[in-house]
Amino acid sequence: MSRLPFVPEQWPALLVLAIFLALPPLLSESSYLFFMLNIIALNALVVLGLNLLIGSTGQVSLGHAAFYGLGAYVSAIASTTFQWPLPAAFFLSLLFVAVTSFLLALPTLRLEGHYLVMATLGFNIIVSILLGQMENLTGGPSGFPGIPRLHAGGLDVASDVRFYCIIWLLFLLLFAGTLNLTESRLGRAFQAIHEKELTAKALGIHTYRYKVSTFVLSAVYAGVAGFCYAHYVTFISPKSFDIFHSVQVVTMVVLGGMGSMWGGLAGAALLTCLPTWLHRFEDLHVLLYGLILMGVLVFLPQGLIPSLHRAAASLPRVVPSRKACGHEHSKTAGVLPVSEGSPALLQEFSPNGANPSVIAHHHGHAPVLRLEEVSVSFGGLQALCNVSFEVFPGEVVALIGPNGAGKTTLLNAISGLLRPDSGEIIHAGARITNLPPHRVAAMGVGRTFQAVQVYERLTVLQNVLLGLHVEGRSSFFSSMFRTPFERGEEQSLKAKGLGFLRQFALGEKSHVPAVQLSLLEQKLLELARALALSPSLLLLDEPAGGLNPRESGVLMHAVEMLRKKGMGIILVEHDMNVVMQLADRVVVLQYGCCIASGTPERIQKDPRVIAAYLGSGGLRH
Amino acid sequence: MLISLAPQFFFSGITNGSIYALIALGYCLIQNATGLVNFAQGDFVMIGAMIMISLYNGANMPMPLAFLTAVAGTAVVGMALERGPLRLSRNRDTLTLVMVTVGASISFRGSSMLIWGKSDHIFPAFGGESPIFLLKAAILPQSLWILGLSLLVLAMLYVFFQRTLLGKAMRAAADNPFGASLIGIPVSRVVALAFALSGGLGAMAGILITPITSMNYDAGLMLGLKGFAAGILGGYGSAAGAVVGGLLLGILEAFGAGFISSAYKDAVAFLILLIILFVKPAGLFGSVRVRRL
Repeated sequence: MSRLPFVPEQWPALLVLAIFLALPPLLSESSYLFFMLNIIALNALVVLGLNLLIGSTGQVSLGHAAFYGLGAYVSAIASTTFQWPLPAAFFLSLLFVAVTSFLLALPTLRLEGHYLVMATLGFNIIVSILLGQMENLTGGPSGFPGIPRLHAGGLDVASDVRFYCIIWLLFLLLFAGTLNLTESRLGRAFQAIHEKELTAKALGIHTYRYKVSTFVLSAVYAGVAGFCYAHYVTFISPKSFDIFHSVQVVTMVVLGGMGSMWGGLAGAALLTCLPTWLHRFEDLHVLLYGLILMGVLVFLPQGLIPSLHRAAASLPRVVPSRKACGHEHSKTAGVLPVSEGSPALLQEFSPNGANPSVIAHHHGHAPVLRLEEVSVSFGGLQALCNVSFEVFPGEVVALIGPNGAGKTTLLNAISGLLRPDSGEIIHAGARITNLPPHRVAAMGVGRTFQAVQVYERLTVLQNVLLGLHVEGRSSFFSSMFRTPFERGEEQSLKAKGLGFLRQFALGEKSHVPAVQLSLLEQKLLELARALALSPSLLLLDEPAGGLNPRESGVLMHAVEMLRKKGMGIILVEHDMNVVMQLADRVVVLQYGCCIASGTPERIQKDPRVIAAYLGSGGLRH
Repeated sequence: MLISLAPQFFFSGITNGSIYALIALGYCLIQNATGLVNFAQGDFVMIGAMIMISLYNGANMPMPLAFLTAVAGTAVVGMALERGPLRLSRNRDTLTLVMVTVGASISFRGSSMLIWGKSDHIFPAFGGESPIFLLKAAILPQSLWILGLSLLVLAMLYVFFQRTLLGKAMRAAADNPFGASLIGIPVSRVVALAFALSGGLGAMAGILITPITSMNYDAGLMLGLKGFAAGILGGYGSAAGAVVGGLLLGILEAFGAGFISSAYKDAVAFLILLIILFVKPAGLFGSVRVRRL
């Protein structure tokens, strides 16, 4: 079933939902019941978009009621005041919502931090004031009556039941499409952005573009819901689209479990019904609503659906889980390769993994990286001062120096995470000085981090697939529809990713969440992920930090193999054993300046280096 | 014609602005102590005013005593919010905790509706109703009270944070809670104190503004949002920013309402918020956080 296009991985659950939704029209004719179910569907649509946004940016919008309202009002005005046909009004309202959300997202999402919440909050309040004040266009606070019902051809959606069928069908389609999107290459990138945005950039993921696109998409979901709402109830007023409705839909998201699509549906259903159930308590209902909301948030840590999942998972399971455990244990012993006894490690590394340009440079003598007088300062602090050196293919350049010498700063400048104040950075003949990090990564600069940056909640395979992200071509559209092209591409990326994992003896653990790996395995995974970018230059930031001598031996062996494949490597390292064994050349930084460079033997005897490390007064290292 | 009204706009602007500044300071205290945006801040404003109404109109308590009791009572409510739901919450994720304050805000509104009903309440101004004329602008004595008391509170807060040991401990705990706890500062009590202070500040704002605008169970929301906008304008988390942002927002809003249309008065405040976010997201006095790897 899930091999067909558009059918999501979770189709059995969707089928159950669809069957369940088919029951009410067969069992009941109460128009009140259908009215409630229809409102649930509309809220669930908005919540679906919000969940997509939270999943991809980790940010919340307090302005989705405004997009809901814009979808409703623009279509109402176009179809009633200007007598436009419905499809035209529909497209106009969606276009309007898309453009406004785009303009709002453009400046706000460029920044890190919780600016989106504030901007959308302000936006929502402005929109509801405008809807209330522009009386000749919107009818003002008293509302906009006489909106035509949904109709297409001869079919008039005149009853609650008919609208029920249409809105839930629409919801199921969009729900399936959204599930497909979250399970695709793009969905993986969204999760990466949410968890660690800087790392995602260093993997070549255009985080800003994705954040803006998901924001616009989620606003369009709200716009679609607004359009349907306007042409269902035929009367709209600004009160339905104020900031409190935005807060309410966000509450549905949080209640159901942030980022959980099924949780969003549950949250929408519960919170839409709760006020009507509570209305029998009359004046008490506001207080009860608040208390119930607080109670659920306080006592169900992850929201409804994830909490249920966890409860179900903690029930004692008999055979299968134990079997899996034993299986894993028997493998762990063999996974850690021992330093000398690991000929298997990296042996099968295929040259087609590496960038063809690397091979070319390897034979010629053009440098893979050239730094020309690179300077960086933070306020008054000169972090890097006119640093120049070159790295050739197949060469390991170790970058050493006391803490705070500017080593990581230099790596950050090369990978585009910060901009040098002056100087040039040239990679394989191309100037990358002021390029954004995702472009630098896509051009073939891979890196690992001082503090390991694996995506702990994703599996090992998904981590490597993120490294392969730049290789994929599938779009939002093909991901939502799970087109054969997208399926094929995903399959080949997976095969390729598994190949990389096997080279690092991680193949057996491909479906384990990365958080369960040992530090060495996480570092190897980070290396495998960087290699997935097919880099010609690899930046390794303290790869041996925190490892015991046996483990750092394994890592050195891996680096040695990569060098043989013709990659240029910059190695920041404090462990002098590692430096002396691996490095062809050593560059020594102190207070941001390059104080010496040369072969390991020469550097060992250099008096300036000895002074920098030992200091004139006392022991420094 | 309009230009001659400028002094009038200015005075009504700084009157409202002082109120926004007090509310923004409340946000700022909680932001610095916990990193949370407290959505119930506006409800502290409403609760303070409502307690004052009960004590003064209902129990005939002398005004200064009623004022102090209402402020203290709201401080207790603020502390209860922190000691209760926020501390009990098992999920320490910022967004969940912020949503808990949304739930608290709805609960406060619900209880207030039960206790004080849905109608508007008011009590007399502190210094009578006859306006004073200055530069052709009519100034209510209440405005002067608002300015004077806000300044007094600001001065007291400044002395508290700069000169007293407890104030310095609070700043230390806000800057680095882990480090502060290592040198023996009871961080959790400091956080509770921050909520109490911000409750008290909110209550003061509510009590001061009620004689001018009246108060009902629902009115805290807009005041809270304006205070929030003021905080962002000044630079979220900066105390000086909160004060300047509050006053500036009040003045801009008064001029915007006067020169454009009073119907769009609230929109002006949030338009300023959007412009600031787009142009200088850190606010006038804030600094952008630097992320490190």
